[in-house]
Amino acid sequence: MTEKPKPPLSALIYGEIVYWGTLAGCIISLIGTFITFVFPKKNVLDPAYVLSSLWAGKTAKEIWIGALGSEPMGHWYLSNLTCGDALQMLGLAIGVFTIIPACFGASLALFKEGQKVYGILAFIAGMITTLSMFGLFSIK
Amino acid sequence: MRSLLRQSPELFILSGLIILVYAAIAIFWNVPGTEILSPTKMWLIIILSFLFSTFIAIIAVIAGIGGGVLFTPVMLAFTSIDTLLIRATGLVVAMFSGLISTGPFMRKGLADVKIVFFCSVPIVVGAMAGAFAAIYLSNVMGATGDAIVRLALGLVLVFIAMMFILGGSKTEYPKPKKIDSFSKKMQLYSAYWEESLGKVVKFHATHGLLGGFLFFAVGFTGGFFGLGGGWAVVPVLNLLMAVPLKVAAASSGVLLAMGNAAAIWPYITKGSLLPLLAVPWMLGQVVGGILGAIILVKIKAGFVRKVLIVILFLTSFKLIARGLEGLFGINIPVF
Repeated sequence: MTEKPKPPLSALIYGEIVYWGTLAGCIISLIGTFITFVFPKKNVLDPAYVLSSLWAGKTAKEIWIGALGSEPMGHWYLSNLTCGDALQMLGLAIGVFTIIPACFGASLALFKEGQKVYGILAFIAGMITTLSMFGLFSIK
Repeated sequence: MRSLLRQSPELFILSGLIILVYAAIAIFWNVPGTEILSPTKMWLIIILSFLFSTFIAIIAVIAGIGGGVLFTPVMLAFTSIDTLLIRATGLVVAMFSGLISTGPFMRKGLADVKIVFFCSVPIVVGAMAGAFAAIYLSNVMGATGDAIVRLALGLVLVFIAMMFILGGSKTEYPKPKKIDSFSKKMQLYSAYWEESLGKVVKFHATHGLLGGFLFFAVGFTGGFFGLGGGWAVVPVLNLLMAVPLKVAAASSGVLLAMGNAAAIWPYITKGSLLPLLAVPWMLGQVVGGILGAIILVKIKAGFVRKVLIVILFLTSFKLIARGLEGLFGINIPVF
């Protein structure tokens, strides 16, 4: 047997959604990075303050309270999309989010391929990640 | 270089964009210095984070481990950054090389979709159970219990590394003596094109049920200690379930990305993940992840085995040292 085996549709769907979604997230984060350092006032948190605080060993809680007086609530970056650091965070979150549509897409394809057990497992994996995104699981 | 461009034009576009943005930032930098950091130091932190991240992503993808195994000890040893922020960023490091290498691995058939979903649920459920158990046990046994289990884990890793050494090349393309009925029912078989040999390699995983329990245990210890499960996924897939070493490494990377995706959201929503720290590491993981995936397809399985043995030994030394420190109240200066 010398012919290269073709990967199943479910693998391609999962792989391509995650791959291109992650690349899109990176480009958004890059735009955010440019805004953060070239227009420092267009940030939720002042970059000079954050970098110095990180280097000084301050905790995330201390950094947020020191800058804004309170800790952020939920998906804080979504309501600040004109800010550089929020765009950086959005790009990162898009990369993490890609797992969810990829799992559900692969689940559908696995059912179509007759792999029902794996279709169910992919669906469960997608559901767990979705519930975690909505804050229903806290494993800290 | 041309073949690399043909294989992954997006790698060149992304790398070009990253160089362009970092150069533009250096030219148009507008962030003032502070008492702690000058503007030059700030820029250097961003650039060095990106470069170091690219390097460890290549190693992590080839070995099928999360980059967190390398990132966390180095950051804890050489910076004064808060441990929770390092742990949260460590999850980004652990998952993004796996995320980006998912595409090339699935296209080449090197990561197996059935193995990935078979392992994913026990690992994720185990990680959550481990995290809850950690909170409970820290109240009951405290630091002593933590030290004992770290020490035990370190010794287990030495044992696994020794099995890779003693098993020799048999571990690269293992042939199971018998396939159990559960693994047959689950159709845990596949085939992939082995570029280094120029032929198709067929495999049938075995010990599926025991593997499922062990993946729960891997997830549990990962959640309990915040270690990540990369150090154990490849040995379970390869040594127990007889999955070829390169398929085990590729599937492990894909699996770690999926497992960490569930764990990372609480850090994002609680503000424990700061983009200024995490994004250069994320970008490095993506560039290094694509490079690592291209390299893994071409290299011989024996090289993967050697990289894995070195990483297992390094991780075990750290675990044993931390365990002894906790038990005897001494300070052992290891990485």
